Parts: sequence; structure tokens; C-alpha cells
Amino acid sequence: MVRDITLGQYFPGNSLIHRLDPRMKILLTLAFIVFIFVATNFQGLALMLAMMLLVLLLSGVPLSQYLKSLKAVIFIVAFTFVLNLFYGGGDTVWSQHFPGFTMRITNGGISNAVFVAVRIFSLILFSSVLTFTTSPTQLTDALERLMKPLKVLHVKVHEIAMMMTIALRFVPTLLEETDKIMNAQKARGADLESGGFMQRIKSLIPILIPLFVSSFRRAYDLAMAMECRCYHGGEGRTKMKQLHMSGLDAAAAVCSALFCAAVLYCALRFPAALR
Amino acid sequence: MPVIETNELTFLYGEGTPFCKTAVDHVSISIEQGEFLGLIGHTGSGKSTLIQQFNGLLRPTSGRVLLNGKDIWAEPKKIRSVRFQVGMVFQYPEHQLFEETVLKDICFGPQNMGLPQDEAAERAREAARFVGLPDELLGKSPFELSGGEKRRAAIAGVIAMDPDVLILDEPTAGLDPRGRDMLLTQISAYHRDRNNTVILVSHSMEDIARVADRVLVMNGGKAVMLDRTEKIFARGRELESLGLRVPEVTKILLTLREHGYPVEASLTVDQAVEQLLPLLKKGGAFRG
Repeated sequence: MVRDITLGQYFPGNSLIHRLDPRMKILLTLAFIVFIFVATNFQGLALMLAMMLLVLLLSGVPLSQYLKSLKAVIFIVAFTFVLNLFYGGGDTVWSQHFPGFTMRITNGGISNAVFVAVRIFSLILFSSVLTFTTSPTQLTDALERLMKPLKVLHVKVHEIAMMMTIALRFVPTLLEETDKIMNAQKARGADLESGGFMQRIKSLIPILIPLFVSSFRRAYDLAMAMECRCYHGGEGRTKMKQLHMSGLDAAAAVCSALFCAAVLYCALRFPAALR
Repeated sequence: MPVIETNELTFLYGEGTPFCKTAVDHVSISIEQGEFLGLIGHTGSGKSTLIQQFNGLLRPTSGRVLLNGKDIWAEPKKIRSVRFQVGMVFQYPEHQLFEETVLKDICFGPQNMGLPQDEAAERAREAARFVGLPDELLGKSPFELSGGEKRRAAIAGVIAMDPDVLILDEPTAGLDPRGRDMLLTQISAYHRDRNNTVILVSHSMEDIARVADRVLVMNGGKAVMLDRTEKIFARGRELESLGLRVPEVTKILLTLREHGYPVEASLTVDQAVEQLLPLLKKGGAFRG
């Protein structure tokens, strides 16, 4: 049941990336995101892009899916791209006089704009690889394991992971419930589509209140069921599905380390294109 | 005169995707004004999808639904007025209660119709009487009521709109035998009093046998039988092949009949007693 949650963006598959240990995937994703910012010249950026293309192709998820995930940020990227064009140093490429001020595009502005756009896109794409190839349950499992050292600081790691799992598990259930309640209120003539802003907010009340009530009812039921099965938190609890690092994970780590080293070398060796 | 007519009604879920599923398959039926129709069929047979098209919650993929002779989707903007004429009580309707008081909750429908407050309240009180909710409960919060009372309040919320057609989806699910009995009695009383059309969806063949004039049997999205209740339940073997049963009493009589006893399939215990007593007096050894 929990295995086939159809939530978020998980794309079931059996590619190399899918088979990586989720902990390794989270760590590598973090490393790549950091190194996107280490690459300050076009040589480094080209390396990162090559790495990304390789990962995207290895993941076996259709590229059109990745393009879809970029759609959400296209506006922000376009906005920062245009803004950056006009705020850079270096030689003027194009200028236009207006009464009171001059608009100018410089080559520094262009490279800044390209960098920012590529960085935002890469950020989204790397995290998409993670969420496309890792199921939500695997993700929370891995997070729980990775955050374990925080126990020293009295962070309730197991409880946080359990809450995340439960939240993820109940999203589809709540959606279904919302649908039912909306239909029931619509059948009583509730008008959800028309009216001004305040009117629409008000028309949500007949849906939100029953939804709250049923969420609490479910929470009580779940708590009762968990207690009946002697749930007592993370103390001494074992996992049905153990996470194991394999040779594949080691290989991925080594490859990624080499790539990152190359990016770092480029950053030191060549002048920065950003200013 | 038919109040609801369907014309080659078809509904597909997930049209255009690989998961496309035909939920309702070319259904053409007509439901008469004033009749009490039972709707049976096992889970996934398309009952819920069918009734949700009667009040315009779902828009048919193809085919038409006629309400009093008019296509309900002729003017999509006015679909809300159809929902006032075809009242729908969903499964576990008590989950839709939300207002501060029971009375206000029952008023929700009538107020959405645009009725003034006092008239809406008057209708709400009347509807509450129909479902047997005592007056002193009307000022309480709906969340303080017992399960059965909540159910009644929610049903009253639909009855208060005074719909021409009342559709009830499993109204007795989860009630104890007494609550079940009372609710059914009240629904039949409501039907007799208002003389409007009632459609009852149920898995309980006993309930259907008790109250319905006619029965519609759905299977695999198709309307496979539509006939008088006693005629439908006389076809016990066919129903069983569709994963349905007939009421226990009917089953006993049908089996007796198969063994050659001169009895008719009856729907209620009383009718069965009338038939069986004379046979027993004769000594029971008679075989035709």
C-alpha cells in the first residue's frame, strides 16, 4: 500500500540512478548543488552541464518530464536573466539613450545573466533527478538515517521521519476526501466557481471544516492503531527494508568526486567569468 | 411521465490515457415520476458514476441525461439549478456537516437556492420532522449528535431543498438494525407524502425488496435489468451470476419452488408466511 503511493514526482524504474542508495543520492545531489556555485567560469560550467546530461540520461526518466519541471521556474529565470543583462561591468555591447538615463548591455552582464540562468536550471534539474528516481518512503528513510547524528543535539530524528512518512501517506487520502466533500456540498448547491475573492474564501468554509473534522478523526484512529501495535517511537526499532551501500554507490561517489575535483581545478586554473 | 431519461449515456474515466476505463456504458433508461427505484450492482459496477450524472456532478462523455424532457447540459451555466431538482445524499453524508448548529446546516441547501432566511428555516424544520430529528436537537452543534442523528441531519439537509428526485447512496450503511429500519420507514413515508421520485442505491437486498417499486441492476457499467422488484428477485440465479444475492426469504422460496412446491417468490417475511402457512397445514408432504 505505502509502496505504491502515487505522490510527488516519483517515476518508477530500474535505472542505475534508481538503484543507487537513497542516502548516496541525497549526498551527491547536495554536493552537485554546491559545485554549481563553485564553477565560476565557462570551463567549469561546461563540466557541470556534461555531468548533468550524463545523470539525466542515466536516470531513464523521459527528458520531457525534466522539461516540465523547468516550466515552474521559467518566469523567475527570464526575469533574473533580463535584470542581470543590464547590471554588469565590462565593455558595452549595446546602449540606448532615454531622457534621464542610459540603458546598456555589457559583456559582463551577458555572462552574468547566462550564469544565473544556468545555475537556477541546474539546481532544479539535479533535485528533480533525486525526486524522480527516489520514492517518498525511500527519501524519508534516507533522511532519517542521515540525520541520525543530530540525536546528540536532542533532535527527535525518528519522530520527524515518522511524521513525514505519515504526512506523505495521507496526502492521496485527503485529496480523495476533499473530492468527496466538494461533491457533497456541490450537490447542496454550493457555488465554488463564481463570486469575488472574499466570496470564494467564504465558500471554502463548508469544505474545510468537514475536512478538518475528518483529519482529526483519522489521526485519532491512526494513533489508536499504532498503540495497539505497541508503537513506542524509534527506540530499538528495526527496519524491514535495510538500506545497503553497494559497489554501485562507491563507483558513483568516486565518479562524482573526480568531476567535482575537475570543476574545482577549473575554478582555480581559469579566470572567473563572473563579476 | 418520465422524470429522468438517459440516452446512450456513457462515461469514461481517464479518457485519452492508457488507464481509460468505461464506467458507464451506453445506458438508456427512463425513470418515472413518483416511482421508488432501487439501484443494485456490486462494487465497481458503475452505480455511483451513473447517479452522479443525474445531477450534473459528472458530465457524460457521450449521450444525454434528460430531466423532465430537457437536456441538463443544454446550458452548462445553469447546472446548479439541476442540483436543486435532483437532490443527492452521498454515502456517509454525516461527513459533510459543517455549520455551527444543526438548523443552519440543514438551511445550507435552501439558502444556496436563494430562499430568504425565514423560509429556509421553515423548510429546514419540516425536513427535520421528516427524518425524525426532534426540535431540541436543531440548536445543537452537529458535532454533538450521535452517529444516527448526524446521518438524519445530513439527509434533512438535502430533503430541505425539496427536490423532485431524491437520490440516496447507501443511506443505511453503518447503522444498527433499528436505525436502519427507522430510516427506511421515514424515507418511504417521505416518498408517499411528497409523491416525488426516490432512487435508492443499496447493497442490502432486504432494504431494496422492502421499499422499491422497480429495480435497476447494473453490471460492468451496463444496465442489465430494469423491472418490477418482484420480477427482478424472481431471477435469483441470474442475480447470483452477477455477484448479487436475493433477499434470504426470497431465496428460501425460490429453492422450495425449484423442489416443486407451489410457491411464488416473495419479497418480505410476511408474504412468505402467507404462502407457507397453508402448505404447512396441509402437512408439508405435498409435492407438485
